[in-house]
Amino acid sequence: MVKPSKDEIHYLLLKLHSLTGIVPIGAFLVIHICVNSLRTVGVWPYQLSIDAINSIPFLLVVEITFIYIPLLFHSVMGFYVASIAKTNTHRYRYPRNALYTLQRLSGAVVFVFLVYHLGTTVGPKLWEGKHHFEAAPFLIDIMNGEFKTWQGILIYAIGIVSATFHFSNGLWGFCVSWGILIGKSAQRNGAIVFAMIGLALTVLGLATVAEFNMNPLPAEATVVR
Amino acid sequence: MTEKTTTIKIKRQDKPGSPSYWQTFEVPDKPFANIISCLMDIQKTPTTEDGKTVNPVTWDCNCLEEVCGSCTMLINGQVRQACTALVDNLKKPIVLEPMSKFPVLRDLQVDRERMFDNLKKVKAWIEIDGSHDIGAGPIMPDQDRAKRYVMSECMTCGCCLEACPQFTQDNSFLGAATFNQVRLFNLHPSGEMKKEDRLDAIMGEGGITDCGNAQVCVEVCPKNIPLTESIADISRQTTWQMIKNLLIK
Repeated sequence: MVKPSKDEIHYLLLKLHSLTGIVPIGAFLVIHICVNSLRTVGVWPYQLSIDAINSIPFLLVVEITFIYIPLLFHSVMGFYVASIAKTNTHRYRYPRNALYTLQRLSGAVVFVFLVYHLGTTVGPKLWEGKHHFEAAPFLIDIMNGEFKTWQGILIYAIGIVSATFHFSNGLWGFCVSWGILIGKSAQRNGAIVFAMIGLALTVLGLATVAEFNMNPLPAEATVVR
Repeated sequence: MTEKTTTIKIKRQDKPGSPSYWQTFEVPDKPFANIISCLMDIQKTPTTEDGKTVNPVTWDCNCLEEVCGSCTMLINGQVRQACTALVDNLKKPIVLEPMSKFPVLRDLQVDRERMFDNLKKVKAWIEIDGSHDIGAGPIMPDQDRAKRYVMSECMTCGCCLEACPQFTQDNSFLGAATFNQVRLFNLHPSGEMKKEDRLDAIMGEGGITDCGNAQVCVEVCPKNIPLTESIADISRQTTWQMIKNLLIK
């Protein structure tokens, strides 16, 4: 096997940075927001979804492989990409230039939010060793607490909006960087479609937050042996 | 004396690497004046607003009809050609600065050698010379010719690079103008023979993946070249090249 050159590695790393944002991270975000929005229909379907996820065999290995490693890679590369940017939105006021700056900013915001989000949910769950059917009531209890205060709601609102924006704008960036959307009108049409996807995800996410705040129902384990 | 004047503030620099400083000049109003004619007036009487006689301001210009790109500078903070910047259409006082992404030689003159070096890196030409007669080249479809014509209007002025948030003096980013040339020559039936060489040259540090899709390049391009379309097209070509390199080589 020929040893890849520094330039080849550079190209592949940045291409992979773009790809990991869509699969698996973006895909996970869509699933995460959609599944959690079941909470707006009731606690019962929401709890069933948590039960199902926590029944996945080797859950931690699956999470590390398909979420944490890609997420860490995307974050490290993202901070590198943001560090080489010399934003000039104040001088050249064009919508796409503003989105360029916001993409880098929202990425950093999401990173900070995820540290908090993991620290208050998955962190305690692993620390307390809540597995299978024990996980759902434990997590639902945490989430009920998260949205009691306006500060908690604000943190999640900022986190959700940043994440959905970063994803939908990143979807567009991916399509351009991989040469899927080429022409001017193709790029515009793509941007409209992705904006609508982003908006739908934002509405779902914020509706879930609202439901938790207005209706903090406790839950008991589905099966207690 | 009731002669009307326009105030022009100019960022000056005496030689490469020396510190820059500002001077303000009052230029008598003339009908249809552009920035070049104002600079010529300053050259005739290089006196600042406070009456001090200074060295005349130097600048580059050539064609005076926005096809050579040499008079590119920052006018009121925006990159453009001085020849087509009409005084009547500009906010006063007018502020002139040299381009910030290229090393300043003196006053408003910059060294854009990097752009020409980049053209060499990507082989922005068509190889037609051989030690023997290599015959006539393939015929180009007319729609390709029409597409190439727009792209070929690039005058290497550097507006796209000056306005690009990814392009700085201390990195190696090739920039929109160079990527557009890669597409231009890859689309040519004879130029296509060097397609892989050109793609390999832009698949590395400073290459196509360093584009952040801020798309300011296409907004400031004075020749209305579809630069973002070229970038996306070149991205597609390098994506296929990457798959080829990974699976076939």
